[in-house]
Amino acid sequence: MASDSSPSHRNEGPSSPTDPYSSPIGNTNSSPGDAHRRRRRRSSSNASGFATPPPPHSRFVATDATPTPSSIQSRRARRSSRATPVATPTSTDEAPPSSEGGEADEADEAPPMFVWGTNISVQDVNAAILRFLRHFREHPSDTEGKYMRAIHHIIEVEGESLDVDAHDVFDYDIDLYTKMVRYPLEVLAIFDIVLMDMASRINELFDKHIQARIFNLRTSTPMRNLNPSDIEKMVSVKGMIIRCSSIIPEIREAVFRCLVCGYFSDPVVVDRGRINEPARCGRQECLAMNSMTLVHNRCRFADKQIVRLQETPDDIPDGGTPHTVSLLMHDKLVDAGKPGDRVEVTGIYRAMTVRVGSTQRTVKSLFKTYIDCLHIKKTDKSRMQAEDPMELNNGSENMNEEVPLDFQDKIEQLKELAKLPDIYERLTRSLAPNIWELDDVKKGLLCQLFGGNALRLPSGANFRGDINILLVGDPGTSKSQLLQYIHKLAPRGIYTSGRGSSAVGLTAYVAKDPETGETVLESGALVLSDRGICCIDEFDKMSDNARSMLHEVMEQQTVSIAKAGIIASLNARTSVLACANPSGSRYNPRLSVIDNIHLPPTLLSRFDLIYLLLDKADEQTDRRLAKHIVALHFENPESIQQDVLDLPTLTAYLSYARRYIHPKLTDEAAEELTRGYVELRRRGNFPGSSKKVITATPRQIESLIRLSEALARIRFSEWVEKHDVLEAFRLLEVAMQQSATDHATGTIDMDLITTGVSASERIRRENLLSATRNLIMEKMQLGGPSARLMELLEELKKQSSGEIHLNDLRNALATLASEGFVILHGDTVKRI
Amino acid sequence: MEGIGAPLMSSKSVSLIKVPILDSSNIGRIQPNSLVRFRGMVQDMFGNELYVGAFKDGSTWRTNKFTDVASFPMSSSTETRIWERRLLYCVPVPGQSPWVVQSSDSASSSETVINRCGNWTPQHGEKRRREDDMSVDQMDLNVCPILLFIREDGLPCQASQSQESVIGGTSPIQSMVPDFDTKSLPCLVKIYDSPESELKLNDVFEFVGVFTFDPELMVHEDGSDEFSSGLCEDTLVHLPPNKVPRLHCFIHRKLAVHDFLVGSPVNEPMPNLVRGIRESLLRYLTAVLGNDGVAAQCVLLHLLSQVHARVDAIAVGKLSLNLTGFSRESVSVFGNQLNIAIQSLLPFTQSMPLTVENLNTASLAPKKDYQTNRLLAGTLQLAEGTHLTLDETQLNAGILNSTGIENVRLLKNLMDLQKVEYDFEYYKLEMSSDVQLLILSEGKSNILPADLVLPFQPSVVASSVNADGDSLQAWRWYLATLRSLPHVIDTELQKVIEDDLVAARQEDRSLGSNDFSSGYLELFRWLTMARLMSASFGETSLSLEHWQMVKELERLRKERVK
Repeated sequence: MASDSSPSHRNEGPSSPTDPYSSPIGNTNSSPGDAHRRRRRRSSSNASGFATPPPPHSRFVATDATPTPSSIQSRRARRSSRATPVATPTSTDEAPPSSEGGEADEADEAPPMFVWGTNISVQDVNAAILRFLRHFREHPSDTEGKYMRAIHHIIEVEGESLDVDAHDVFDYDIDLYTKMVRYPLEVLAIFDIVLMDMASRINELFDKHIQARIFNLRTSTPMRNLNPSDIEKMVSVKGMIIRCSSIIPEIREAVFRCLVCGYFSDPVVVDRGRINEPARCGRQECLAMNSMTLVHNRCRFADKQIVRLQETPDDIPDGGTPHTVSLLMHDKLVDAGKPGDRVEVTGIYRAMTVRVGSTQRTVKSLFKTYIDCLHIKKTDKSRMQAEDPMELNNGSENMNEEVPLDFQDKIEQLKELAKLPDIYERLTRSLAPNIWELDDVKKGLLCQLFGGNALRLPSGANFRGDINILLVGDPGTSKSQLLQYIHKLAPRGIYTSGRGSSAVGLTAYVAKDPETGETVLESGALVLSDRGICCIDEFDKMSDNARSMLHEVMEQQTVSIAKAGIIASLNARTSVLACANPSGSRYNPRLSVIDNIHLPPTLLSRFDLIYLLLDKADEQTDRRLAKHIVALHFENPESIQQDVLDLPTLTAYLSYARRYIHPKLTDEAAEELTRGYVELRRRGNFPGSSKKVITATPRQIESLIRLSEALARIRFSEWVEKHDVLEAFRLLEVAMQQSATDHATGTIDMDLITTGVSASERIRRENLLSATRNLIMEKMQLGGPSARLMELLEELKKQSSGEIHLNDLRNALATLASEGFVILHGDTVKRI
Repeated sequence: MEGIGAPLMSSKSVSLIKVPILDSSNIGRIQPNSLVRFRGMVQDMFGNELYVGAFKDGSTWRTNKFTDVASFPMSSSTETRIWERRLLYCVPVPGQSPWVVQSSDSASSSETVINRCGNWTPQHGEKRRREDDMSVDQMDLNVCPILLFIREDGLPCQASQSQESVIGGTSPIQSMVPDFDTKSLPCLVKIYDSPESELKLNDVFEFVGVFTFDPELMVHEDGSDEFSSGLCEDTLVHLPPNKVPRLHCFIHRKLAVHDFLVGSPVNEPMPNLVRGIRESLLRYLTAVLGNDGVAAQCVLLHLLSQVHARVDAIAVGKLSLNLTGFSRESVSVFGNQLNIAIQSLLPFTQSMPLTVENLNTASLAPKKDYQTNRLLAGTLQLAEGTHLTLDETQLNAGILNSTGIENVRLLKNLMDLQKVEYDFEYYKLEMSSDVQLLILSEGKSNILPADLVLPFQPSVVASSVNADGDSLQAWRWYLATLRSLPHVIDTELQKVIEDDLVAARQEDRSLGSNDFSSGYLELFRWLTMARLMSASFGETSLSLEHWQMVKELERLRKERVK
């Protein structure tokens, strides 16, 4: 390894030569390398060391045609006035190769040089960079510096650039960082020189130019805050690429051929944006005037691309339009981003005069700005929800997670939030804050959003973690509003309306690709909302056929397809949130839930929570509602909502929890679960009653587990505690009390849900059946004359005290008919 | 440089009236580099422009501020400072009513000014004496100086739609400034030193500044610039100075609706005066609506509505109105009449027939065109307080294509939330709007559910109703001023209202619930109506009487719906 000394025994002050190869737009990323390479070749022919590193100018020097503004402009102007066109073939020797050997001494000998107009000493910066590259270690224990390793690697793979994390620079040497950000043109040039120098020490044959690409600046400038003071500074900007130009070949070196004698000139490099065509043939024998012509395929070109970057929606203030900025990409960076990509760009903000007319003064008074791109990073990848199943489909809701630093901060914030004792209530409040009341429903929905743990046993058995919820209720109880809200909040979700959904539209359908003629599988709503929430409005209006498709989805979480030669099973790990109107459009409390909703019990039992949103005439609620409305109108609207989380925070919280928190049951919680479940089942046994009402089914215990897991997740807790279980029981009970209350007995009756008939109702029916049977036995002869239904009904009414409807009788007779006891002919009954 | 603005600001009412308004009719006459005013809506924002703000000419500092070109030659090596300015693309407010334009036309020529305000009296007889043809607006002879600033400026040019009548007043003296689009004169305004938050998209502003025109700038591109051939092309390339004048703005002022009025009768809304105007306006509306008094009341409330605040998704204060019971025939009579009436009352009005074809083809939402880097205005890019009439009677059965569906969604969003999504191709940006929506339909509009649905029942086939200029002016003032009145409800009345709401809900369970919305919109609407009702009397706090009136109105409406 080379000694510590800086190899900068330069004979040209940094203020002397401007890069002669710079392009009109000032970025000549690859030119210094070329120049150095050539020079080095030359010098190494007579000296075994390496050549003088070029002066600190290299890549970002504007040409005289487009001087950079302000003080820098004049600085540059001066510099260029003294510029020596080092690399034009004729003048190469003006930059005499440095003497090699004894670099250490020379560093001391060389007079201090400063970047023009500043007090930055070139030697100091050089040394600082060298120190940084050599000695920066990520962990004190590392034997070799991070960047030394990187440089070795680059040399091995013949790479072209070294990515330098600005945070590392900052950590190691704040001073260097500041200089780099404030005077990027100069410092980066030195950086490149140091790098090349190091590379060639490590491997003398390595003569490629290594470019330092700085990224991850400590501060990122919002696009609309870029202002004149940022010009010529290193900035970092986030945004979305909206347009990319085609690749522009930019000439670097031109080769000319004499039309007369066929002599090829030496390569001519770009000088201030121009190629100087040799006026005469370079060969002594020829010397023909104006005979040189450009040979395209022997010229060297570099790729260039102009990219437009636009602000992302979340950076746009109210009532503004997005700002855009142009980026200039070179070489490797070309095509690094596509339109639509969200990127973070590190580069140098630059201004260029606009050539408006031919007049001098108009030329000078306006500038176009652009960012000379150093590094481009796609921010999509580092987003918090990167592989998160609950990935947000709406990018605007997660602005802050894009940078690792912010990301960490954000997580800390979320964790802080999670520690709040009232986080559960707070989240509940934040959920659809404009929907009044319905706290328990919101809590259920919250659980659904967070979800339980999916479990896959080694045996292959699958337990879903998704919680399905059904909302049944009177019109105008904000069901759809809730649905819409959840849809908006859910990371991935489809909103459909039952009336407009077909079975295939929900699951998957086979279609012929119009172009290839192949049959392809098109996913439906449920498949598309895999790992999300599928919101189905107007569930009751759905066709039976479509509804039956849901059976598989809701328990097995797959969609199986066997059509048109395609047999497939697609994942549909989705939570279903459905809402339905009661069958008579208004809930009839005298009918059972099943009768009200008109849903097959098989499907109904797959919902973990069924909420009845009844518009009860409750004066208390009404008064609160009225107060709320009045307040909305006449008070300061801001004061109404108290400490609710805003939507982005809520989403972030949700995503984080779903991604990183996987709670497990504690023993205590498990015990509580068992105890509670047994209790729930025992409740079905009425004291002193022979009829048995099933209050809970095994499905419920699964629901309970899911709910308590979700509740633990809400607290960011890895363990399901006892109180989670208790809350889960409470939620289930609240939901069941509303939906599974047997209106005849007033108790919870899961049979209502599983069969649609409550136990007491069943007993009543059986009684009626036997009464009818007895009546027919008594009154009617085998094969005798038939009796009218009404007569039977009269008879029955006489016998029993209770009310009997014709319908009930019909049902009973139908049962008897199926037994082969009677024959039913319209309104007449005949015993057989 | 800041010094320039200060004296202008301080005495704006006096000094600014002398400043000509830049519009299509006088663009030819105004000398470049002179002080002008421009009134328009911010339609697009082009971002910041960097320019050499100051440079050293020898030993003195010179500036390029407020100019396109340097006033003194700059040598290339001179010391310079770079400053920035904002570019705003402004257009005349969409849907300007003819009277707004006309008032500004004649305004700049007026000189005799004083004596009107003293003469104003609440009596109608008084007013009618001066029955000049309002639309030609000779009223400018009679306005007190304080109001002059308001009345004088007017809008620079005709609105794009439906105002052919006024167009054609272009000056015969076409000077060196060539071919400006005379119909609708946009303007590129350069803003200096003002916080970004001050100027928002779709705001209506008056800009005072230097109108510059430099023939040198016309010879625009030299084409060799890589950036313009690449894609960093300047937006301004598409806006050559001979099409779009440049204005370097010294001061700017946000305009409210009443700034467009030609004079105002009173400064303070005096109760009995307001009451008088209200009565006459109501009479007029009743006549326009074929003697349908309930409809007239609803229209009045509707015309006064304005978004006061936003709570979550709800825009408080909006009151969209759906008049049902129109047929194609009656629309041509009453609809037109109503449209004309509204146009003569409000400064910005738009109307749009709702047909399948129209929905399928129209571009309602503004869209960003990245080719030219411009925001293409859509029909729904409207200034605050614009009135939009949608005629649904024209709607036939038909198939909506994707544009149509999108457009319906946009309209529905506008109606429900008062928000319009602007299409930025890679994402949509929601912009808040404040548009009064009136829907004329046969049955209750299901596509566009309005806040207030009222079956329209004219009893007289009205002949055309004319209003005289004086009253029109009073009404305009009335509508403009009263809609922005503050509003409170004292605690006692709050109790009463709460009780009423609760009672109403107990009585009718479907109240407070609404099929399409968050449950309490209906009750919510009552409060909005109450607010508007009390505002229509010029009151700032709700009285029991007005609350009763709202309930009565609601009862009448209910009866009709049944």
